[in-house]
Amino acid sequence: MSIDWITVAAQIANFLVLIWLLKRFLYRPILDGIAAREAEIAARMGEAAEIRRESEARAAEHEAEIAKLRASRADILHEARQAAEAERAAVLAETRDMLARARVEREAERAEEARRFTAELNREGAEAILALARKAVTDLADETLERRIVAHAVAQLARSRDEVAAAAGDSSEAVVLTRDPLPEEATARLREGLAPILPGVTLRFEIDPTLSPGLSLRVGGAQVGWTVADYFDGLEALLEDRIGRPGGATKSDAA
Amino acid sequence: MQLSPDETVVFTLGGFSVNATIAGTWAIMVLLTGVSALITRNLRADVPPSRWRTALEVIVTVINGQIAEITQRRDSRVLYFAGTLFLFIITANLLTVVPGFEPPTASLSTTAALALSVLIAVPLFGIGSRGLGGYLKTYVEPSPIMLPFNIIGEVSRGVSLAIRLYGNIMSGAVIAAILLGVAPFFFPVVMDMLGLLTGVIQAYIFAILATVYIASATAEPPPSTTRKDAP
Repeated sequence: MSIDWITVAAQIANFLVLIWLLKRFLYRPILDGIAAREAEIAARMGEAAEIRRESEARAAEHEAEIAKLRASRADILHEARQAAEAERAAVLAETRDMLARARVEREAERAEEARRFTAELNREGAEAILALARKAVTDLADETLERRIVAHAVAQLARSRDEVAAAAGDSSEAVVLTRDPLPEEATARLREGLAPILPGVTLRFEIDPTLSPGLSLRVGGAQVGWTVADYFDGLEALLEDRIGRPGGATKSDAA
Repeated sequence: MQLSPDETVVFTLGGFSVNATIAGTWAIMVLLTGVSALITRNLRADVPPSRWRTALEVIVTVINGQIAEITQRRDSRVLYFAGTLFLFIITANLLTVVPGFEPPTASLSTTAALALSVLIAVPLFGIGSRGLGGYLKTYVEPSPIMLPFNIIGEVSRGVSLAIRLYGNIMSGAVIAAILLGVAPFFFPVVMDMLGLLTGVIQAYIFAILATVYIASATAEPPPSTTRKDAP
């Protein structure tokens, strides 16, 4: 039993080489593999834990939602029924309103149509009557109407002497307008009748074929007249007022 | 009867006589390296570990765990050193069952070389961990009077390691040889089995003691005066 120092040195060298070889081919690959696998396992565990947390959170949310839905199902049904009833009532009311409005509109249209028909009928009747009356009076005026108008005018001027005198002011002339020349008798009577009312005022007679049968007196800034058209205008205004047409003006100065 | 494989010259290489100790060591080196390289050649994270790879991982993990238990930390350099000691010794001791193979651990030169390696490695680990001053300071603790005793303790530690391993392996081989002459049928088998058990235990003890020495040299607190010793 002895120690061979050469062998000892060789064995030390062999041992150091073996350390390097095992480090290169055994420890490093195995430890690196284990570390990589542990890292992968840790990563997968982390992912699994994360997925599990998410799953649990979602499951809790779903359970809460289910419980909430179960709790509120009766309320939702009740609310839905109420909403349906309300909707039904609203639709019915709207339909009734629509029908009522349509009925009212129809009645109004019918009434308006009846009114228009009546008014048209009245108007046409009145115009026919007026035309007949105008024709009849015109036919009669050839003989007596101007005279009667003069007489009437004198009578009216006599009743409103003060207003006429005030309207005449300082005028020295009054113009008498007629459609046809007045008879001598009528002009004389007119001069005679107006002399006390408009003293110092001379009368001048003019013919205007466009005038309606009658007489028109213009003195100063005032004009008064008594023509047949004035009567018929008043009658038309009265008819229009009776049948509801707006704007029927009546001449206040008509007799 | 030859007591040491140093005396058996296997072949001559360039004028240098390669004895059985060195040849056996080379064989063990080739075996360990070859097996390791073969198993770990296709080591990828996406490839599921094979049975052999799992066996290697178990071995490395157990060794690493033992070292971590002793040193209270994971140091890959200690694993390389102590793990290689363990694997070399246990492989050598287990190969005694191979007929004609003379384990290099039965040579006092090998055990002395391993003990010298531990003796050199312990200060190196201590200096690497504490620095040169910090390591030398441990020799004068707890008192400068203890310096010669500490030096003697360091040397005797290596000597005891070498003698213990050599004695156990060599004696097992010698006893087996003697019993083979006396009772060639039954007792050698029993003694070989006993030798295997002893070899495994000795490999474990040698590596553990080396780790303990390294741990005591690299520990942050002052090294304990009571040291674990082998039976």
